[in-house]
Amino acid sequence: MSRDTDLPVQTLGTDRQRRHWWVGQETARRVAGKTLFSTDTPDIPGLLHGAILRSGVAHARVVSVDVSKARTMPGVQAVITADDIPGSNSFGIVLRDQPVLCRDRVRFEGDAVAAVAAQTPEQARAALAAIGVTYEPLPVVTDAGTAEQGFALHGRSNLLAAHSLRQGDFREALERCALVVERSYRTPRQMHAFMETEGGVAIPDGRGGLSFQVGCQSGHRDVIQLADILGLAPEQIEIRPVPTGGAFGGKDELTVQPVAGLLALKTGRPVLVHLDRFESCRSGIKRHPVLARATTGCDRDGRLLAHRVDAILDTGAYASLGPSVLENFLDHATGPLYRIDAYEVCGRLVYTNNGVAGAFRGFGGNQATFVVESQMDALAAGLGLSPLELRRRNLRQPGESGSRGQPVRWTRPPSEVLQLAEVSPLWQSRSGKGRWLEGTGMAMGAQGNGLGDGLPDAGGGRLSLTPEGLVRAEFGFVDFGQNLTEAITRRLCQQLHCDSEDVQVVLGGSRGPDSGPTSASRSSVVVEQVLAAVLPGWCRRLCAVVAAHTGTEARLLVCGSGGIWRRDRKERVCSYRELAGIAGDLSAGHQEDFPVGPGQEKPTGRFLQLLIATVARVAVDRLTGRVRVADLHHITAAGRVIHPPGYLGQIEGAAVMGMGMVLTEDMPMEDGHYRFDNLDQYLIPTIHDAPVQRVDVLDDTRPDDEFPVRGVGELGIEAVAPAITAAIRNACGVSVTRLPVNPDWLLAKLRELEGRS
Amino acid sequence: MTDAPEKQVVSFYLDGEPMTLKVPAATSLLDILRGPGRLTSVRAGCRVGRCGSCTVLLNGRSAPACLVPAWRLSGCRVESVEGLTEDPDFLRVASALTRESALQCGYCTPGMVVSLVSCLRNEPGADLHRLQEALAGNLCRCTGYGGLRRALDRLSGEGRDQDDL
Repeated sequence: MSRDTDLPVQTLGTDRQRRHWWVGQETARRVAGKTLFSTDTPDIPGLLHGAILRSGVAHARVVSVDVSKARTMPGVQAVITADDIPGSNSFGIVLRDQPVLCRDRVRFEGDAVAAVAAQTPEQARAALAAIGVTYEPLPVVTDAGTAEQGFALHGRSNLLAAHSLRQGDFREALERCALVVERSYRTPRQMHAFMETEGGVAIPDGRGGLSFQVGCQSGHRDVIQLADILGLAPEQIEIRPVPTGGAFGGKDELTVQPVAGLLALKTGRPVLVHLDRFESCRSGIKRHPVLARATTGCDRDGRLLAHRVDAILDTGAYASLGPSVLENFLDHATGPLYRIDAYEVCGRLVYTNNGVAGAFRGFGGNQATFVVESQMDALAAGLGLSPLELRRRNLRQPGESGSRGQPVRWTRPPSEVLQLAEVSPLWQSRSGKGRWLEGTGMAMGAQGNGLGDGLPDAGGGRLSLTPEGLVRAEFGFVDFGQNLTEAITRRLCQQLHCDSEDVQVVLGGSRGPDSGPTSASRSSVVVEQVLAAVLPGWCRRLCAVVAAHTGTEARLLVCGSGGIWRRDRKERVCSYRELAGIAGDLSAGHQEDFPVGPGQEKPTGRFLQLLIATVARVAVDRLTGRVRVADLHHITAAGRVIHPPGYLGQIEGAAVMGMGMVLTEDMPMEDGHYRFDNLDQYLIPTIHDAPVQRVDVLDDTRPDDEFPVRGVGELGIEAVAPAITAAIRNACGVSVTRLPVNPDWLLAKLRELEGRS
Repeated sequence: MTDAPEKQVVSFYLDGEPMTLKVPAATSLLDILRGPGRLTSVRAGCRVGRCGSCTVLLNGRSAPACLVPAWRLSGCRVESVEGLTEDPDFLRVASALTRESALQCGYCTPGMVVSLVSCLRNEPGADLHRLQEALAGNLCRCTGYGGLRRALDRLSGEGRDQDDL
């Protein structure tokens, strides 16, 4: 309980809690460097090294590709072009508009044109240099704002999608406003910067098929696309469960798989393709840059009446998940937390020659939340109200529908999250010390679980007993460090009253159950659904087998540590190992659609909703214009905490990633070329930049709650940007509407303000 | 096309074992370790010395293997996490990082461990500030460094639950 508010809240990671943290065996293995990632390949016999020729030009027709010389180079085993693709030369999760290897046209500087497999990486690179490509330049489209008038990259127009969401009569509502704020916003082309760059190995299985160990986010979905490209049956392709060194959405699309697969089929040998950071920067997916114009108005009491957002999202040369990102952006741009009489949010998704943008933690939502929350602060300032008070007057209450009229399920009322933000210790101001101007600000965010908006979203899993007597839980999710293994283990231990040593979690294999993609903060919800559906019956089956074997009545038996126990837990009747010997694997699977609201067949927006408030304290350097984020305090309402270090780590990690987007992270482009090519120019936060963080969890989920567990992989990034910019405004009076904050610009603004006073 | 670069014989100690190779003089230690060295804990995150994922101990001090050319290696002692398993500083660091769950994907973690071992070896009583400085060259994209800070608290004795280390 919080002393200040009497709300059910607990701070995660206190000294006392941490003394009892269970962390799992895999953590120690990773610390000792014993875990092999997809690109760690010491023991694959006959391994060849693949390399990909990138166009290096932003937009051009391919006149000719001459690989004759490269084929004769030392060590070269295969050189492939578009002509060597047995199946379909295109990929993309939503829209297959990206060529595996470009045949007649390249649309960004990272487009792949040819690829080589050689004995050594050096030989492969040397062969790439010997490939001759002749290009005929095409007009380069670099500005998203005017892209629709530019030379079309695909078809007849660069407009890929235009959507709008409306409620009420915006014009009429605007007339009634006492105060209207109108502003433009810009958010950056952020890079995922996972530590393990895109890579993996394709290994021929000796029967014409291929097995992959590769960094990815959805083995099952990748198999379908790869089968089409490689001209194989889906059954001939396996994605093995191998840990991935970070993903964050950036490995949602296929990356190296098609080329590695083609080279492996051509040579009959395993082929490793591992992009180095330079190539990853140039060819990898980024976050959609957003240009938005927002008009928001309220009455004299601060009641929101009218809200309009017009946005343009730059998806770059190919669609990737752009249309879904646009949907989620618009969903969040409606201001899901607030009651607004009328809104109109309109977005256009355009093709340009600026790289490719796609899935990235937050998925358009955090960009929109930056816009909405900044508008709220501008209104509060205009009314002379505290930003907290303005929010309090407009928050939705439990029982109300979501901003799109859809049913929503929060775990606690938004007002409670706000109430806890209000009593954050970060509001206690510390005096600025000469050079440093200090300030505190806050923002709120709502985020949904699941793919949402009419997309097919099923997930499954399987329980079984191994011959060694381990309770095995299998899911198709990929392990990229999100602590899912630990969370599943914990959940099984809680429900079976067994030990972590009794449990084996297997993730990510395409031959196992299909859980759907490892994205959209959906894994924890799917796991919970599967366990809820399978566990009770599975336990009864285990007990029934033991009952039949031992003659003990089944109703007197329960699952427990190491095996089946008498209900009074005084005696273990049968170990899991003995049980496996008696009855085999006893497997039970389950597949189910992601939860949608009552009465809905397909979701509108997202039904399961999470809430966060982030309070930020910053210091602005009057000498350099740089901003230091000193503290972040998050209040979350997102269901039960299953694995405390995992939950805490997800919120902290996402928040620092969001902080990077505010302070330094952008991949600017010039004439269709990235200006940065590695981590010495693209600066992500270091340990010295990382703020002190506190995560308070608001939760008293009842045992009978239908959806007690929510996924928190993206929640921490939702509100951090507007919280930091609110703190900057509080510190020095400057309103930031372009991210990342340019220190020179901020310095000039500071001088302007100081000159005035 | 340039001719293949001339190879040079280099001898050094890798995790205590002598190793002799004939490689082009400019070959990076990173490529040697991942290739003939058969190490997997030393990882290529950027190849420009920024990310720290390939950090090893070179004569007892941390260095990014990607920036160490083969010609500098003669007679050097190179240590990786894979060779440190019995090292007392490694055990201290590994215990702190594990107990605080100071990682997520763990790709960067061996490099972090090596940087911390280097710091503690040279300054056994290193305080929080020194330990944090030792990690300036190690990037982590998953955690936001919260778990690492908690682990450093524990290592520097500033954590309150030293008693149950």
